[in-house]
Amino acid sequence: MFTTRLLLAALWPLAVGSACAASLLLTGGVLHTVSGPTLTNASLLVRDGKIAAVGQSIAEAADQKIDLKGQHVFPGLIAPMTVLGLQEIDGVRATRDTTESGDFHPDVLSWVSVNPDSELLPVARANGYTHAQPIPLGGVVSGQSAVIALAGWTIEDLTIKPAAALHVFWPSFALDTTPKERAPNPANWKSLEDQTKARDKKLRELDEFFNEAEAYAKAKSAAKDPNAFKPVPAWEAMQPVVRGEVPLNVHADEVRQIRSAVEWVTQRKLKAALAGGRDAWRVADLLATNRIPVLFEHVFTQPARDTDPYDAHYAAPAVLARAGVKVSFTDGTDRFGASNVRNVPYAAAQAMAFGLPREEAWRGLTLYPAEALGVADRLGSLEAGKEASFFVADGDILDLRTQVKRLWIAGQEVSLESRHTRLYDKYRARPKP
Amino acid sequence: MLRAVFGLVLVATAWAQIDPPGFRPRPPATHALVGARVFTKPDTVFSNAIIVIRDGRILQVGPEAKVPADARVWDYSGQTIYAGFIDPYLTLGTNQPVTTAATEARAGRTDFTAAGGPRFFGVAGQEPDPGTPGPGYGLAEVTPEKRVAAIFAADTKVFEALREIGFTSAHWVPTKGILRGQSAFVQLGEGSPNDLLLRADVAQCLGFSTGGRDDAYPNSLMGVLAVLRQAWFDAQHYAADQADYAKRPGDRKRPAFNAALAALQAALSPTNRQPVFIEPGSVLMTDRARVLAGELGWTERVIVSSGDDWRRPDLVAQAGAPFVVPVAFPALPKFPDDDAWESVSLDQLRSWDWAPENPAVLRRAGREIALTTYALGDRKEFRKNLRAALDRGLSETDALAALTTVPARLCGLADRLGTIEPGKLANLTITDSKGYFDPEGKLRAVWIDGRPYEFEPAKTPLAKADDDKAAKEKAEKKKTELRELAKRRVARRPLDGRGMLTNPPAVFLMGATLWTGSSNGIVRNGNLLVEKGKVTFASQMELYSPPLGALVIDGVGLHVTPGILDAHSHSMILGGVNEATLPSTAMVRIGDVVNSETDNLHQQLAGGTTAVNLLHGSANPIGGQSQVIKLRDGDGPEELKFKPAPGGIKFALGENVKQANWGEKYTTRFPQTRMGVPTFMRNRFTAAQQYRDALKAPTAEPLRRDLELEALAEILAGQRLIHCHSYRQDEILAFLRTMESFGVRVGTLQHILEGYKVADEIAQHGAGASAFADWWGYKFEVIDAIPYAGSLMHARGVNVSFNSDSSDHARRLNFEAAKAVKYGGTPEAEALKFVTLNPAKQLGIDHWVGSLEPGKDADFVLWSGHPLDSGSVCLQTWIDGKKYFDRALEPARAKALADERTALIAKAKKLAGEGGDATASDKAREKFFQRALEHAVHLGVVNCQDCEMPR
Repeated sequence: MFTTRLLLAALWPLAVGSACAASLLLTGGVLHTVSGPTLTNASLLVRDGKIAAVGQSIAEAADQKIDLKGQHVFPGLIAPMTVLGLQEIDGVRATRDTTESGDFHPDVLSWVSVNPDSELLPVARANGYTHAQPIPLGGVVSGQSAVIALAGWTIEDLTIKPAAALHVFWPSFALDTTPKERAPNPANWKSLEDQTKARDKKLRELDEFFNEAEAYAKAKSAAKDPNAFKPVPAWEAMQPVVRGEVPLNVHADEVRQIRSAVEWVTQRKLKAALAGGRDAWRVADLLATNRIPVLFEHVFTQPARDTDPYDAHYAAPAVLARAGVKVSFTDGTDRFGASNVRNVPYAAAQAMAFGLPREEAWRGLTLYPAEALGVADRLGSLEAGKEASFFVADGDILDLRTQVKRLWIAGQEVSLESRHTRLYDKYRARPKP
Repeated sequence: MLRAVFGLVLVATAWAQIDPPGFRPRPPATHALVGARVFTKPDTVFSNAIIVIRDGRILQVGPEAKVPADARVWDYSGQTIYAGFIDPYLTLGTNQPVTTAATEARAGRTDFTAAGGPRFFGVAGQEPDPGTPGPGYGLAEVTPEKRVAAIFAADTKVFEALREIGFTSAHWVPTKGILRGQSAFVQLGEGSPNDLLLRADVAQCLGFSTGGRDDAYPNSLMGVLAVLRQAWFDAQHYAADQADYAKRPGDRKRPAFNAALAALQAALSPTNRQPVFIEPGSVLMTDRARVLAGELGWTERVIVSSGDDWRRPDLVAQAGAPFVVPVAFPALPKFPDDDAWESVSLDQLRSWDWAPENPAVLRRAGREIALTTYALGDRKEFRKNLRAALDRGLSETDALAALTTVPARLCGLADRLGTIEPGKLANLTITDSKGYFDPEGKLRAVWIDGRPYEFEPAKTPLAKADDDKAAKEKAEKKKTELRELAKRRVARRPLDGRGMLTNPPAVFLMGATLWTGSSNGIVRNGNLLVEKGKVTFASQMELYSPPLGALVIDGVGLHVTPGILDAHSHSMILGGVNEATLPSTAMVRIGDVVNSETDNLHQQLAGGTTAVNLLHGSANPIGGQSQVIKLRDGDGPEELKFKPAPGGIKFALGENVKQANWGEKYTTRFPQTRMGVPTFMRNRFTAAQQYRDALKAPTAEPLRRDLELEALAEILAGQRLIHCHSYRQDEILAFLRTMESFGVRVGTLQHILEGYKVADEIAQHGAGASAFADWWGYKFEVIDAIPYAGSLMHARGVNVSFNSDSSDHARRLNFEAAKAVKYGGTPEAEALKFVTLNPAKQLGIDHWVGSLEPGKDADFVLWSGHPLDSGSVCLQTWIDGKKYFDRALEPARAKALADERTALIAKAKKLAGEGGDATASDKAREKFFQRALEHAVHLGVVNCQDCEMPR
C-alpha cells in the first residue's frame, strides 16, 4: 500500500491519500450525467482513470467504495477561454505571459508557458474546474491553444490536447468619432472613411493570410524533393488549420464583427466557435444555421446600447439556446479573467434565472465546452468510456452556497486545498485576544 | 508716426471734427432713415417709421418723426429695421466651448498627474503649479485679474462675419480656465479699440472646466467646484485681511498682495456687484451652479447653456437665472456605410433631434434667454439654426428680445442698447421686407454708432425658361416636405419612462418570506405593511387586514428583503472619480458631481440596490468627500442625496497612493512608500487640529477659511466618517493607530483584503469592514486576499459588509452576500445583512434603512425566490414606499426605447440621405458624436476605480 501510494504520488503531485485505488465505486449519489438524465441514488464506477459504468446500481466490486449519501456528482467543469496559468498577478507585468506582439503568429503555442504551480489553478479546481483552455492573446491570428488538465507535474502532464484551436481576433468595426483637434494623438487621427478603409484592409489581410497558407500547402506538396523544401514555421503551424484539423476560435463581440466573421468562416468552410460573443443574441439564427457554438463571456457585461433591456446579456444564453446555439460559459481574458474562473458557474446560474433551462446551464459548463474544444470523446459528461474527471458537491453547482467536497481528474483524486484555504486555516487559528 | 500722433489728439479732443490732410474726411453725422418697417422693441412695430440719428445716437423715431434739414436721407422703403443685434458671449480665439472636465479627449488615463504635486494650500509637491507669471492666485486656471479690456483688439474678420449676420455689438468674454477674468463690451464696427470699447469689466467669467494641464490641480470636475469655492472664500478673506491691516499696520504681520483676489472684489461687492457669467458645460452642472450661487452669493448671474437643457427642463426651471443660449446644433454626419448607423446611440439621436428645440424648452421653463453665436463652427449657420429653433416653438418676439433687449440688460447696457429709442446708440440691423427670421430674407445693412455698414444688394437671378419651372416646383415641394419633417420632434423626453412607477398611500404585501434583518429574523408567511413611505408592520401573518386604499401584493412563494445597500460605488459620478493631483483633496466633494442621468441607476435598481455610497477614488491618501444617495431614478442630483446620512470622506493606503503602478514618471509626490502614508496623515491632522483650535479661539487677524482643513476638522469632531481603502495588514494597523492618536474612530476600512489577519484589532477599534466578497489576483497587494475574509472578520466581531466597487457587481450584491455562506459558513440571515443592515450601520444610516422594521423607510425588494440562490430574480424594487422597478414592465420599456431609436433613424435617413447633412458645417457634423457629460460612461468612471491602474 505504502509503495503504491508513493509511486502514484510521484506521478501525481496533488493526489489525495486514498485516491490511489485502481478502481473506485461511488454509490448513493445524485449523478448529473449532463448528456443524459440526472440519476438519483445512483452509482458510478471508475477503473483505470476512466468511467467504467454509470447506473442505478452497479454490481461490480471495486478497490475503493465511497458512499455519497445523497451528494451530487458533476462532470468536471471546463473553462474554454481563459488566461489561467498564463497570468499570475494581473498588475505585475513580470507575471503576465498572455499577449504577444505582432499581428500574425499562428506558431505561438499557449501551452508551453502555463505555470503548473500557479496559485490560480488550485483555486479554480476548488470550485469544480478540472480543465481549461488557456489562450494566447495579441494581434489578429494570435496563436494556438491547448486543453489542459488543472493538475500535473509539468506542462506535458497538463496538456491533454495540444493545438485545440487557432485564435483569430476579428478586426473591430467600431468607428472612432473623436474630432481631430480632440484626438489624443492628432497625427494618428483618421476620418470615418479612412477608418473603414483601414478595417477593410485588415479584413483582406486576414483573408489573404489564409490564402497564403493554402498556397504554401500547395507548394509544399508540389515540391519534387521534400527534403529540399524550406519550411516556414508560421506557415507550418497553419497547415493543420488549412487541412481542417484544427478549428478556429474567432473572437468577436460586436454584431457587425460577428456577421462578418460568420460569413467568412462559412465561405472558407472552416470549423469555428465564436468566442466573446457579446452581441451573439442578436444574430442567434445566423449562428444556429451555421452551427457555430458560442463561448459566451458577457452574462455580466452591462448592456452595450442604451436601448438594450437591462437583462439583455443575462437572457442572451437563453435566446441563443432557443435558437439552437450551444452556449459555453467563460469569464474571458480580462484582468479578472484568470482569478475569476471559479465564479463562471454563477454566470450560468444567472442565465438560468433569465430563461436558460437548467440542463443547458450545466452543459454550458461541461459538455458544450468539451465539444467546442474537440474533447467531448473524453470529457464533459458522466458516461462510460470517458475520463473520470468529476467532482462531488453538496448541492447544485449553480447554487452559490454549494460546497465542492472532492474532485477527481482522470481517476485521480486531487486536493481542494489552495493558497486561500491555507491562509484561512492559518488565521482561523490565530489566538483570540 | 504722424497718424499716431494725430490719432491721440483726436481721441483727446472730441470737438476736433476736421482731420488733417491725408485722412479721409469724416462723413456728416446726421441721418434720417425713412420708409422702413421698424421694430422699436421686440413687441412694438411701426409699418412706416422714420429714424433720425445724430452723432451716433438716436434722436427721434416713429411715424411722426421730423427729418432734420441737415440730415442725409436714407430710403429704406420696404425694408425692416431692428435694434442692432447683440451677441452676449463672444469669445477670444476659438469659438468652441471649452470642454468640461473629463470629456472624451481626456478619457485616456495616461497622464494622470505630473511628477510631484502642485503647490496648494500648504501641501507642497516638488513641481508646483507655477500659476501664471507675476502675482496671482497660484493656479494657472484661476485668473480673475485678467481683463479683456486690457488686451482687446478688434478682430476685423470676426467682426465682419458677425455684421454680415446682423450683429452690431458683443460681450467679449475670456474662455480659458475656471475663474477666467473680466469681460468687455464692444461695438462690432471699424475703428480704434478705444472707440469700440463700450464698457470694461462687465462681468467675471467662470467655467466648470479644467481646460489646462491634466497634471495640475484640479483635473476633475469636483476639483473645479472646490477651487471656485475656495477662491471665493479667499477673496472674502482677502478683503477682511487687507482692511484689518489698513487699520493697524504696525500691529500685525503684513498680508501679501494678491492681484487675483483683489480683482474678485468687484464680484463680491455688496453694492453695484459685478455679475458672473457661468459656463457650467452640462445641464446637471447648470443645477450645480444654482446651488453654488446660493452658497457663494452669486446673485447677479447668467448661465451659458450647454445646449442640453432639454434633458432636465425641471432643473432648468429652478435655475433662477437668465441663459445665454448657443444655437450650435449637431448635424447628421456622413457615414462610410449604412452599417455605421449601428454605432449610433439613442442618446446621440435624441441630442440631434432635440437640439433645435432647446431655446423653446428654456422659454417654456420660464427662463429668459439671449442668443449667441458662441459654439458655432461656422457663424453663417446662425440664421439657419435660429430658423430651426423658431420652427420648434420659439416665438419671433422672444427671438428678437433674445437678440436685443435681453442681452443688453444682461450686459448692463439696457440704457444704451437693445431698442430703437431716442437717446440710445444708433445700432441697427436692417433686412429686406421678409425680415430677419425668414430664411429668404436678405441682410441689407447694419448701423453701428450711427455709421452704416451696407452689404452688397443681392443680384436678381435671371429669369429662366419655363420648363425649369416644374423641376423647381418639385424641388421646392421636396424642401417644404423635409422642413415639415424636421419640425416634428420624434425623440421622447429623457424623463419619459423613467422614475417612480407607483406611489400608493399604502402597500400590503401578504404571505411572503420576509428577511427582516431585525430580531424577527427570517419570517415565513409574513406580512409587510407600508404606509406613507415607512414600514409599519413586518412580521408573522396575524389577524391583520390592509388599510383602505392599500395596494395589496400577493407575496406567496416570494421573498422580500430590505433594499440592498452598496457601501462603495462610483456609478453615479460626473467628470472624474479621482482628483488625482494632490496628496490631500479633502476639499473636493462627490456631492457636487452626482450624476442623476446615468443608466446605472436603472440597472442597479433592477438588481435590488436602493442606496449607494458614492466614493472618491483612491489616488491619494486623503481623498474627497463622499455622498450617500438613494436610487430614486428620475430625481435630480440634489433630490437623490440621502439627507440624513452623515458626511463621509475617502482615504486610501498602499499601492495606489504611493503611485506604485502609475508609471515611471510618478516618483516624486509624497508619499512614495507605505511608511510615508501615516507620516502624511499625521501632518494633515496636526494641521487640522491647529485650524480647529484657531477657529475656537479666533486670533486678532481674520482667519482664512480652508476647505481642506475644515473637512479634516469635521473628522476630528466625529462629524465625518472615514472610508479608507486598505489592503495589507501592516498598513491597516498603522492607519488605525494613527487615527486613534487623534481620537478618531474610522468609519469603514474599504476592500480590506488582509483585514482577516487583524480582525481582532479592527473589532477592537470599532471600524466597519466593507470588503470585496472574493476579488483577488489583480495586483500585488492582493496576494493574500481570500474569499473567507468576510466570514472570518464577522466571526471575530467586526461589522462586515460586501460592496461592489463596480457598476456590474452593484446589480447583484445579494449574490456577493451568498459568498459569505459559501466561504466560511456565515449563517444566511447574517450573510444578507452584509449587503443590507451592516452597510447601513457603517454609513450611519441604520436608523432609517437596512432592515424591515416599523418606522424605517420602506426600501424593499421582492425576489422570485431565495435571495441568496443565484437562480433568483429581482421582481420589484421599492424606495420610500414607491415602486421604482418592476420586471413585468421591462419589456414594454425596452420596446419603447428601441422603437424610438428606429423612428429617429428613419427620420435621420430621410432628412439627410446617405451623404449626411450637406448644408451643415464640419463642426456641426462632428458635434453629432459628442456625448453629454452625463452619458460619458466610456470615460473610465464606471468600474473598480480602486484596483485599476494605468499600464
